[in-house]
Amino acid sequence: MSLLRSIAGGVRSLFRKERVSQELDEELNGFLEMAADEKMSQGMSHKDALRAVRLERGSLDVAKEVVRSAGWESFVETFLQDLRFAARMLRKSPVFTTVAILTLALGIGANTAIFTVINSVLLNTLPVSHPEQLVLLTNPDEQGRAIGFNDGVRDLLTYLEFQDIAQHNAVFSGVLAASSYTSSIPTAIEGSGGSAGATPAEVELVSGSYFSVLDVNPILGRAFTTEVDNPRDANPVAAISYGFWQERFAGARDVIGRKLRVLKTTYTVIGVTPAGFRGETVGANPEIFIPLSMQSEISPGRDYLSRETNPFVKTEWLQVMGRLAPGVSLAQAKAAIDVEFRQMMQAQAAGMSAHDKQQFMTQTLSVTGGSRGASTLRGDFGKPLEILMAVVGLILLIACTNIANILLARTAARQKEVAARVALGASGARLVRQMLTESVLLATIGGLVGLLFAEWAEVSLLRLVSAGSGQVPLDLNPNGKILAFTLGVSVLTGILFGLAPALRAARVELNSVLKAAARGFSGGSLRPGRMPIGKVLVVAQVALSLLLLVVAGLFVRSFRNLSQTNLGYDHDHIVQFDASAVTYGYQRAEVIPLYDQILQRLRAIPGVRGASLSDNGPLRSTDSQDPFTLEGEGEARKDEEVRYDWVGPDFFAATGIPILKGRDIGQQDSGNGQRVGVINETFARQFFPKSNPIGQRVIVRDPAGYFDFVIVGVVVDSKHGSVREKPFPRFYAPFFNPVRNTGPTYATFIVRTFGNPAGVSSSIRSVVKDTAVNLPPVTTVTMDQQLAESLTMDRMIAELAGAFGALAIILVCIGLYGIMAYSVSGRTNEIGIRMALGAQRSNVLWLILKESLVLVLAGVVIGVPIVFAAGKWISSLLFAVKAADPLAIALAAILMFLVGVVACYVPALRGMRVDPMVALRYE
Amino acid sequence: MADKPSDLVQGTLDMLILKTLVRQPMHGYRISVQLEQMSEGVFRLNAGSLFVAFQRLQRAGLIRSEWKATENNRRAKYYALTDQGRKRLNSETREWGRQVAAIARILEAS
Repeated sequence: MSLLRSIAGGVRSLFRKERVSQELDEELNGFLEMAADEKMSQGMSHKDALRAVRLERGSLDVAKEVVRSAGWESFVETFLQDLRFAARMLRKSPVFTTVAILTLALGIGANTAIFTVINSVLLNTLPVSHPEQLVLLTNPDEQGRAIGFNDGVRDLLTYLEFQDIAQHNAVFSGVLAASSYTSSIPTAIEGSGGSAGATPAEVELVSGSYFSVLDVNPILGRAFTTEVDNPRDANPVAAISYGFWQERFAGARDVIGRKLRVLKTTYTVIGVTPAGFRGETVGANPEIFIPLSMQSEISPGRDYLSRETNPFVKTEWLQVMGRLAPGVSLAQAKAAIDVEFRQMMQAQAAGMSAHDKQQFMTQTLSVTGGSRGASTLRGDFGKPLEILMAVVGLILLIACTNIANILLARTAARQKEVAARVALGASGARLVRQMLTESVLLATIGGLVGLLFAEWAEVSLLRLVSAGSGQVPLDLNPNGKILAFTLGVSVLTGILFGLAPALRAARVELNSVLKAAARGFSGGSLRPGRMPIGKVLVVAQVALSLLLLVVAGLFVRSFRNLSQTNLGYDHDHIVQFDASAVTYGYQRAEVIPLYDQILQRLRAIPGVRGASLSDNGPLRSTDSQDPFTLEGEGEARKDEEVRYDWVGPDFFAATGIPILKGRDIGQQDSGNGQRVGVINETFARQFFPKSNPIGQRVIVRDPAGYFDFVIVGVVVDSKHGSVREKPFPRFYAPFFNPVRNTGPTYATFIVRTFGNPAGVSSSIRSVVKDTAVNLPPVTTVTMDQQLAESLTMDRMIAELAGAFGALAIILVCIGLYGIMAYSVSGRTNEIGIRMALGAQRSNVLWLILKESLVLVLAGVVIGVPIVFAAGKWISSLLFAVKAADPLAIALAAILMFLVGVVACYVPALRGMRVDPMVALRYE
Repeated sequence: MADKPSDLVQGTLDMLILKTLVRQPMHGYRISVQLEQMSEGVFRLNAGSLFVAFQRLQRAGLIRSEWKATENNRRAKYYALTDQGRKRLNSETREWGRQVAAIARILEAS
């Protein structure tokens, strides 16, 4: 109650200042008058009486002041006063203010930009209600489909496992399953009144419980219920995303009930999800949600839902999440699910051999918090973003030290003002408070400008991140958290660089300053040229910049190594495109003749040196891997695995991979005859170290059984998935001689040219259009483009680190210059004396240079151990570069020394031009 | 020279002011005269601390104020005790008595 009254009183004081002040005046005057009256009744005159009263009772003004400052509102008033004064001071030195604001805007803006991206990718929770109740049973960083067996902690689950868990648990109020990847499927709107053909849309398959478990309410229509899970292929309904609704239906209100033709099936739109809802995977952008039960309509000819005949060959492809039932903790859920999963595996393992069972039972589920959902980005970009955050933090620190130094220098010039304040009664705390207000104001303005800069920086960052791979749908709008972060950083920054100067200013010695100021010489404790704090700051700057430079250098070199790695292919003469015949209506039996025909026509294009195809494609992200044995070895190599690819005729001619022994896959290897295969040199080295592999037979155990091939060639190792991969035993077998007539139908076509590979793109497109009329127009991409895309992250880090390194150098240069200029100006006396005593100009130059180099040396010495420590943190991202690379450190140190020399160029010149006579006369 | 009221703990001054208002509302000068008289000259407060105390007591809801005319037809702000103020005075007085007795016991013991 009294708190309210106190606040009310204070507020009243603030807003009706005049009235309140008048009243107080009146009351106090009345008080004095009454006291005077009494004195007068004892015989004094009015004037004497008043004077006597004032002596006894204290001055009226002091009383007023005391009363006024007793309330909390005076704090607010003085704060506003400080603010107004600070603004005036900043206006008085426009150059400094502009430079400082720009520097701060850059630093704070960069921090905000990176933090926004980090927030979206790493920190944000899903836009659903109570995300903290969600639990993930699968690996959030995993996308894709694995067919086979993996021991240990499970990445993804099968459809039946999901159903089992959904039905037999007591810890979740609901369980959902969603395919861990979205598929790009041609979609057409029926009855749109136009000839709008089918354009690709991102489709995600989800369980009936999906929307209810996530607690997402459609803004139009309704969501799925568990009814859509049964029977199979009989629930052609779809929920569309807000973006899809706006884009393809133009936001039409009557969208519910409209028909969508996805691939070959017609679905009815029953709901529209809210804006900003992008499924359970951050970074994905599903446009159409379709029930899991419709799976074989989306991928014809494949069944990912039924029970597998062999428990070692499971289709693991679903992300599964549950919502905790009320009162259930994560630990309890984990315990319950562990038991449940173990029972499931036991049931599946019934009838296995002891060895098999032991391996099978190593499978476990991880149960983790699912509030942030799954992500396509966290695995790749998590660490780089953290590193970038550290980098921009360092930049801000360096910028702060610069501004702090400038402020320190200005403090010396403001001594008169400070002395006057102290004489008028300002306490040390009051002074510090006022100066801090100035610096926080400066920093806040810088922060506001920085917000604008951040917007631009985020857009550029996003473009960098999604270069080539289309839009990365991240929610980067400024929200409360971001703004709070920016404000917090601004205030902290202001305090950081303002504290030292403020404390320094408050320590002024009154007498010496006032007297000395009259002579125009600032004496006392603030003798210019000394400034030990300033030097400490500069040394810290040098150390931090050294760190930044080394890190930048490491990343730049790492990226260069990556982009210059020999891939094994003739990568700047290759262009690729994908085709998926069965998806677009061709029968399985038609696929091989069709692809063969396409290849023949491709080879006929002028400028084409070779053409072939492959199942897993170079630099794509798919691969096949299975156990194998060599003929005559029996079961000896049960657990060794080999990677492989189905390739078309003349594959190695088309990719430029050199053949070491034997021959290429040829046209003659198509058909049903004895399958041949070509192995890579790692395979040959590991398994045929002393014998000739040509003619040997290899038996491979794939999910469905066995197949074998005879080795006809050995080729050089090449990078299959990523530039960073280590060599792995691999073989290539003919695409046109499929196993059990159920080979792959999806192929990446590879065309090698004599000249610029982009030049044949249009010819390729027309060949495909003529030969395979059902296929949609192909998008070609050169291998160089793909290579660049796969190195996006590394390039981004290298470019940003390099840019920030350069920025750091500039900042350090400015900082060093400032300190040296100040030092020289303070030592004019000393220089004059030295010159008068016979010192040459070169001696003076060396004197100044020495001071600068000593600072740099100190910074380098401090910086090197920090570099070692930091190196360990980033080493996982480096390629073919050691984190503590002595060359990088040495180069960075030399660069710093150069900066030291350059920075003191102008001050040194000034120092050298000192006229001893002038210097000695003026102190 | 007036005794500096810093010798008087803030809470004690408040209590004394409340006491002077027990019988009737008074204006600021009168209160100060009362305090001086009742303490036989020991406490003579300056305007500043007095009025700070008035503001404090008012914001705490222990007294309320009203502009009225004095005997000499001057305008002055009269302060009066509120019910809450009366209650507070009683409890403070009791507490003060206990403290004084305890101090006395200790002093007499040695």
